[in-house]
Amino acid sequence: MRRWVHVEVGASLNLVGALLKYLSLAFFFPIPLAVGYSEPWWYYAAAGAATAAFGWGLERATKGKEHVGIREGFLVVSLTWLLGSAAIALCYLLSGEDQLSRPVDALFEAMSGITTTGSSVVADVSTLDKSLSMWRQFTQWFGGMGIIVLALAVLPRLRVGGRQLMESEAPGPELEALTASIRDTARRLWLLYVALTVILVAILGTFGWTGVDERMGLFNAVAYAFSAMPTGGFGIDPRSLEGYAPASQWVLALFMTIAGANFALLYRAFVRGRPVALVRDEEFRLYLGLLLLASAAITAILWDAGISAGEEAIRQATFQTVSIMTTTGFASTDFNEWLVVAPAAAMLIVALMFPGGSAGSTAGSIKVVRHLVIGRVLRRELDQTMHPEYVAPVRVNRVPLEERTVRAVIAFVLLYVGAFVAGAVLLLLDAHRVDLDLSPFDALAASATTLGNVGPAFGFAGPMGSFEPFSDVSIGIMTVLMWLGRLEIVPVVALLTRAYWRA
Amino acid sequence: MKIVVLGAGQVGAAIVEALHEDHHVTVVDLDAARLQAISYRYDVATVKGNGATRRVLQETGIGEAALMIACTSRDEINLVAATLVKKLSNAQTIVRTSNPEYLEAWQERQIEVDFMVSSELETARAVSQTIGVPAAKQTDVFADGQVQIVEFDVPAAGSGQTTTDAYDRVVSLPLKEATIPADSKVASIIRADRMLVPRGDESILPGDRIIVIGSPDAAREWSRIMARGDQLLDDVVVFGAGATGVEIARVLLDQRIRVRLVESNDERAREVAEELPDARVYCATGVDVDFLERERIGQASAGVFAMREDFKNLYAAMLARVHGIGFTIGIVHEPVSVEVFERAGIDVAVDPRSITAEEIVRFAHDPRIRQLAMLEGDRFEILDITVRETSKLVRTPFKSLPMTGSLIGAIVRDGTAIFPHGGDQLEPGDRAIIFTESRRVAEVEKAL
Repeated sequence: MRRWVHVEVGASLNLVGALLKYLSLAFFFPIPLAVGYSEPWWYYAAAGAATAAFGWGLERATKGKEHVGIREGFLVVSLTWLLGSAAIALCYLLSGEDQLSRPVDALFEAMSGITTTGSSVVADVSTLDKSLSMWRQFTQWFGGMGIIVLALAVLPRLRVGGRQLMESEAPGPELEALTASIRDTARRLWLLYVALTVILVAILGTFGWTGVDERMGLFNAVAYAFSAMPTGGFGIDPRSLEGYAPASQWVLALFMTIAGANFALLYRAFVRGRPVALVRDEEFRLYLGLLLLASAAITAILWDAGISAGEEAIRQATFQTVSIMTTTGFASTDFNEWLVVAPAAAMLIVALMFPGGSAGSTAGSIKVVRHLVIGRVLRRELDQTMHPEYVAPVRVNRVPLEERTVRAVIAFVLLYVGAFVAGAVLLLLDAHRVDLDLSPFDALAASATTLGNVGPAFGFAGPMGSFEPFSDVSIGIMTVLMWLGRLEIVPVVALLTRAYWRA
Repeated sequence: MKIVVLGAGQVGAAIVEALHEDHHVTVVDLDAARLQAISYRYDVATVKGNGATRRVLQETGIGEAALMIACTSRDEINLVAATLVKKLSNAQTIVRTSNPEYLEAWQERQIEVDFMVSSELETARAVSQTIGVPAAKQTDVFADGQVQIVEFDVPAAGSGQTTTDAYDRVVSLPLKEATIPADSKVASIIRADRMLVPRGDESILPGDRIIVIGSPDAAREWSRIMARGDQLLDDVVVFGAGATGVEIARVLLDQRIRVRLVESNDERAREVAEELPDARVYCATGVDVDFLERERIGQASAGVFAMREDFKNLYAAMLARVHGIGFTIGIVHEPVSVEVFERAGIDVAVDPRSITAEEIVRFAHDPRIRQLAMLEGDRFEILDITVRETSKLVRTPFKSLPMTGSLIGAIVRDGTAIFPHGGDQLEPGDRAIIFTESRRVAEVEKAL
């Protein structure tokens, strides 16, 4: 008999099962917290047990293989992220929290957490149980560096073929190995991530303890570190970081900037003690340059419009710029109001959802290096119009790129823009269907913010608002956009092509 | 003396021709017909076989040989042969290579060969010289290339060429009044096979060969000074991006000359564009009239024709002349082509094989003048010494150091090269690179 499917679905599901089994361990994290705050904890255990049982069942029902190929890798990564979200959503449903009681909302919130988006359907986060609130922050933290990267660091099973899987998941066009072993690289990246998080908690905690920032208790410090390092964006206050001290806001801006930089580069610069590497890296230079430029522009607009002045103008502009461009999504002021008083600044905020952070960071969106590549391709095209015989490779950091890589970058950006426009149009159509007041600008912002894993949009879904007014269909669309954005579209979309399944 | 030559190709034949009268030459090659041809022409012994094997080398009587020249067209064969010879006898070894990276490794003393010659590099130097910017003959590098020791031939004035101001401020003036490029020092002046210590009242004269210690930038500056002013060409088109063409482009780029490379094979063009980020590479043939027109090739100051076939080079060069290019240099592959090219009106014809052979023969004749690395144990030595804590010279300003007939060319401190001035002083732990007379070596080592 002719085989119709040439992807080893069984082996892929087997690996997905194994990954989910280990993922269920994460559900133990909030239990001591819940016990400590005398809140119910059974639903964490129940969701964890259900995930473990499902993973175990999937693993038993299928036959594993020593390693899966690149095709299976796409399936494994896509399914792991989808089912992982479902597991977290189950936990939200079981918790009995009113604001997350419907399956679509719970799945949206779960996907928003692990993809480090930070968009929320919860209208008032301050009413959540303490443990549930921290669990929400925690989902961002372990999603930030990548589920597969984590698995690669600890699971012996992924010793073979782990590189492909990690490449399908890791943000950015290419993976830079720090050491000869990909497993060792994954470990070092995670250690750096953990270390940076601990440092951030220590600084913010000290601010709270010494009275620099009265509101920043240890709980808050941990909650915001769990959100800033993965460039997530969930908060535990309804008004995000508005009420916090300027010192805390500056420190968070700094750590968001760090989180949006390439971790392999940070490792070389700080752990191996070669800070020159930062200056030499073209992507990092462009990344910082864009941040500074946008901050300066928004400062000027805010100052000119009389919204704020002096240190406050610089701080508001820098914090918002860093937060949006690194795809974190915190807010230190309600920039939704800028739509009326400083529309240029609002426009810039939406534009900043597209550069994204650096490749190999925890940030989402297109990534600065791709813009760098496209800029150079355009320059070469112009040159070749005048000089058709001119031959030149596109270089990044003096290293020539294969034409194939260049094409992949262009294709990705086109797919990304396509998904962004399609998302916005679908949201508008759906809003019209249910008679929701959604302006085209708000729809574009909502599509860009979910696809880019940023967080806040404009209108009712602004930084201090919530995605709750959207219809179930729109919530579903945006859940898919977040999933697409986190995995950089290709692994998911490839599953929809005939070529993927056939020989 | 007894000399073993590996390879009876064009380079080998040219070497044999130059050496066979005064020396006992044994030629090794795999090709019996070539060996026969060479032994009919010259009075030499021949051995058929692979020169990179012990058996064949022993057959040549390598034990009694004073010199082994490995000049086959395959780098690795040459290197293996030279490595074996080092173990089998006391003969000095000369290796021909076409890989610049091997050459670099040798200059940094990581390959144990007495002398290494690259046809491509020698050709590129010849082209650079013709264009008016003599490329430095780099003979030694220290501290990862931060300190270079280079030689220059000082062009003779009055041969119908005007000199530049920079040249006039250096040559024929007492050194203490001359304007020497920053971060460099004149280490020695070689005049008529005599080496002079460059004291302040000594001056560099046209026709001298000078040895300079300095930074890579200073070496470049020196080559500008040594350039003949009226011929300075700064926009060169190289046709053909084979190994020779690429090396020519590299040497010219190193002299800060604008280089355009034209290569007809698209894969090769891409490869070269990756290798040389500073050159502009075009994928076109040298005979595409539209291309020449569009890229204004006629306005370039010189064209170098380094394609694989002589007749193509000749035609392309003539075409470029028709388009108005001022100066043409042809690279030839058959000895007879030199005359053909020159009769046709190509300004200069360069034969890489004969240049390589000449270079090797020059070394074989008189290794002392040719190679600084070979000066050891002779009149001058280059010392690379780490300064001790207890040295009497530590923390004494340079201007008050005693004159000892030796010269501290550079010091390497924390991995960075410093070219000392009168006010600088030595610190313990510095690496000092010193150019000194041999009889003073012990003295210098003791002082530091």
